[in-house]
Amino acid sequence: MTEIAFETRSVSKFFPGVKALQNVSIQMRSGSIHALLGENGAGKSTLIKLITGVYRPDEGQLFAGAQEVHFNRPHDAIAAGVGVVHQERNLIPRFSVAENMAMGQTTIDPLKPIDFRRLNELAEPWLDMLGLSIDPAIQVSRLSVAQMQMVEIAKALSQRTRVLLLDEPTASLTPTESQALFDVLHRLRADGVSMMFVSHKLEEVQEICDTVSVLRDGVNAGENIPMRDLQRKDLIRLMIGRDETIPEARRRQASAQSVALELRDLSTSFGHRNVSLDVRRGEIVGLYGLIGAGRTELAKTIMGLGALTGGEILRDGAPVTITSPTDALHRHRIGYVSENRKDEGLILDHSVLENAGITIWRRSANRLGWLSRSGVRMRTVPFLDRLAVKTPSLHQKVGNLSGGNQQKIAMAKWLAAGVDVLIVDEPTVGIDVKSKAYLHQLLRELADDGTAVLLITSDLPEMISLADRILVMDEFILKGAVANTRDYKAMSQSVMEHIHHSTDELRQAQAASA
Amino acid sequence: MSLVTTQPDRSVRMPDLKGVLLSSEFGLFLLIVLFGGLFYSVSSGFLSSFNIAAMSRAAAINIMIGFSMMAVIATGGLSLAVGAIGACAAMTCGWLLQEIGLPWPLALLLAIAVGAALGAINGVIEVKTGLHSFIVTLATMSLFFGIMIFLTQAQTYRGIPADFVSFGRMKVMGISAAMGPTLIVTAALIVLYGNTRIGKEMLAAGARPEAARLSGVRVGRMIVLAHAISGGLAAIAALLLVARNGAAIPSMAGNLGQDWLLIAFLGPVLGGAVLTGGKISVIGAFLGAVLVTVLSNGLLLMQIGEFWLQACLGAVLLLAVLLDLARRNYLERRAKQ
Repeated sequence: MTEIAFETRSVSKFFPGVKALQNVSIQMRSGSIHALLGENGAGKSTLIKLITGVYRPDEGQLFAGAQEVHFNRPHDAIAAGVGVVHQERNLIPRFSVAENMAMGQTTIDPLKPIDFRRLNELAEPWLDMLGLSIDPAIQVSRLSVAQMQMVEIAKALSQRTRVLLLDEPTASLTPTESQALFDVLHRLRADGVSMMFVSHKLEEVQEICDTVSVLRDGVNAGENIPMRDLQRKDLIRLMIGRDETIPEARRRQASAQSVALELRDLSTSFGHRNVSLDVRRGEIVGLYGLIGAGRTELAKTIMGLGALTGGEILRDGAPVTITSPTDALHRHRIGYVSENRKDEGLILDHSVLENAGITIWRRSANRLGWLSRSGVRMRTVPFLDRLAVKTPSLHQKVGNLSGGNQQKIAMAKWLAAGVDVLIVDEPTVGIDVKSKAYLHQLLRELADDGTAVLLITSDLPEMISLADRILVMDEFILKGAVANTRDYKAMSQSVMEHIHHSTDELRQAQAASA
Repeated sequence: MSLVTTQPDRSVRMPDLKGVLLSSEFGLFLLIVLFGGLFYSVSSGFLSSFNIAAMSRAAAINIMIGFSMMAVIATGGLSLAVGAIGACAAMTCGWLLQEIGLPWPLALLLAIAVGAALGAINGVIEVKTGLHSFIVTLATMSLFFGIMIFLTQAQTYRGIPADFVSFGRMKVMGISAAMGPTLIVTAALIVLYGNTRIGKEMLAAGARPEAARLSGVRVGRMIVLAHAISGGLAAIAALLLVARNGAAIPSMAGNLGQDWLLIAFLGPVLGGAVLTGGKISVIGAFLGAVLVTVLSNGLLLMQIGEFWLQACLGAVLLLAVLLDLARRNYLERRAKQ
């Protein structure tokens, strides 16, 4: 085996109330591509930030080669030869390729006028090395997304990067562009560069990576495993994880209850095709799938934020047209707890009371529009108490609370609204174990009280412990339903089969059309 | 014991002293007292009954102008057209009184309605096109003002009923009667933003439109409404000016109404409004406008000249924003501890 280029030894990172990373050890070798896998919230981005000097580890050590390193800021990491290409582009569109590549380099005298010809000459060899035939003087805004990505890699290499982190580099690339990128990565590997490749696309990971580490809930679920020893289903198993202690929940008998929400052959502008499902009162229906499978988009369509291109939505058996979330909430009593707590779930700058009360202002106001504070408080505080929200006062800014408490408030406002149908999207991502248990208990109680719950989660143990039935979605299509036997092994097997088959079919279809 | 973790809410009945002392409202109050004392020590004419009446009349108008900007800032926008809308409303009022001969209360109501309608046009354009309110109101500022000049032929309407004009010049306990409408509007706005569904929804829409929308707030409608309220308030400000001048003059707010802009932003921003939306303070905007009035009046008494006055007000705006930033950083740190 080749030498180790970069290593983390038992690093941990804690945020208030959350253990983001615990004892994570990974080894990146020269001339090798290391995959970093994990679902959202597993700790991948925290790890990347530790390696690139954005955060400092609370415990553990970082080694560049044999040398222990301490990064106080991103610049230190760059100086140690660690470069990162982020998912979102970090180039300045109006500047030339060469200018972008030279940016942040300290060797340039700040007082001298810039010698543009020299900048272009300096950029050229790195672009050539990547097989890019672009003029360094050209404006970045005129490049394609794939070319911009190559420029970022060239920039990283020009800073003498020997350890290159690629955060979902293929997220916005076409298959051909991805292939070109992989060719470059292969070439860099041959030159001895050590790379870390972060992606949700398992096929790619299998194709180009030599070793793999998997994070789950902030800990190593798989540590530096050679890729050839693993199959796709092993990767999925490592990512989804196994939780031996799935709480034995009382089985609900929802089949006797009436159907609260039904989708019939629903097709949408997001790309869903012929999605049919129903959720009964008192039932928790799980919607499982990998990231990007189209689950959140389906939820948003139900809330009136996407256009239907076919099929219909039925509420209590009657066809309905939902034109906006206002409609969904006030006319059809459907609520949605967003997966994106910070942007869509809460107003972080507003107080606990304002956030928890927003869904009931309309109902609490009298005919003149007057809203009594005590009225709103009376209708929200019981739910904040029930969820054990910890806050110094109701007037505290939500942004100052921990993630777990924020999520409880995001949930509490829908409890206060008293909706009959609740769609819950990734309810426990990035929150502490205790809050997670509270939220699980709450969802069960809600269903017991007759609420129809549609649960979207990528956390399979969570799904198995909560859902009565599990529907599997992939590529915006429902792939099938799995009755929940609460047997983790059998469940993960059958869920995986549904997803696996679909990708196989897709590949066959692609092969047929090619 | 239930899992009560929210402490009994003291801040409503008995606001804690430290919070009050750190508030931007208290800071403004201190500055007003400070500058008032300074000007009084330099020129005793500052607190003469004549000057008090003049200052309160100017303040009444400045406060309304600030409110009209604040209404849009609440939803995260801004309106460059407040002055133009004010001028349009004032000219509407003058025309209705002089040419049509309507009774003046009716003419006032119609003028306010015109102001609100022009504001609503801004809101509808912003929501339908998705353009930033800066661009929309930059365009409508010229548009509204131009159409108004064309329709009125830039003439001044002097046929203002004596009742109305004498109201503008009346004093109650040494303070201009113009303060009356302003105080009523202040109270109404405090209720609107603190105690009504609409006010709270406007703030929620301003703070984070995606979250508000998913919580059932009609964000677009709230933006239109905010612009309409802004237009109505601009109209009231302009009508107070008409009462003071005894005439509706096309250039009462400067060319295109631009003379109002600095004052319009100063009040709410000094008062602690967040320009990205979602947070405003009615009392703060009130005090902010009072501070601006005290400063301009005092500086004029010290005979420093109109141009220096503008420079001073600009400097005050910058200083206030920096102070506010420091104050918020401090509060943030305190909250995290």
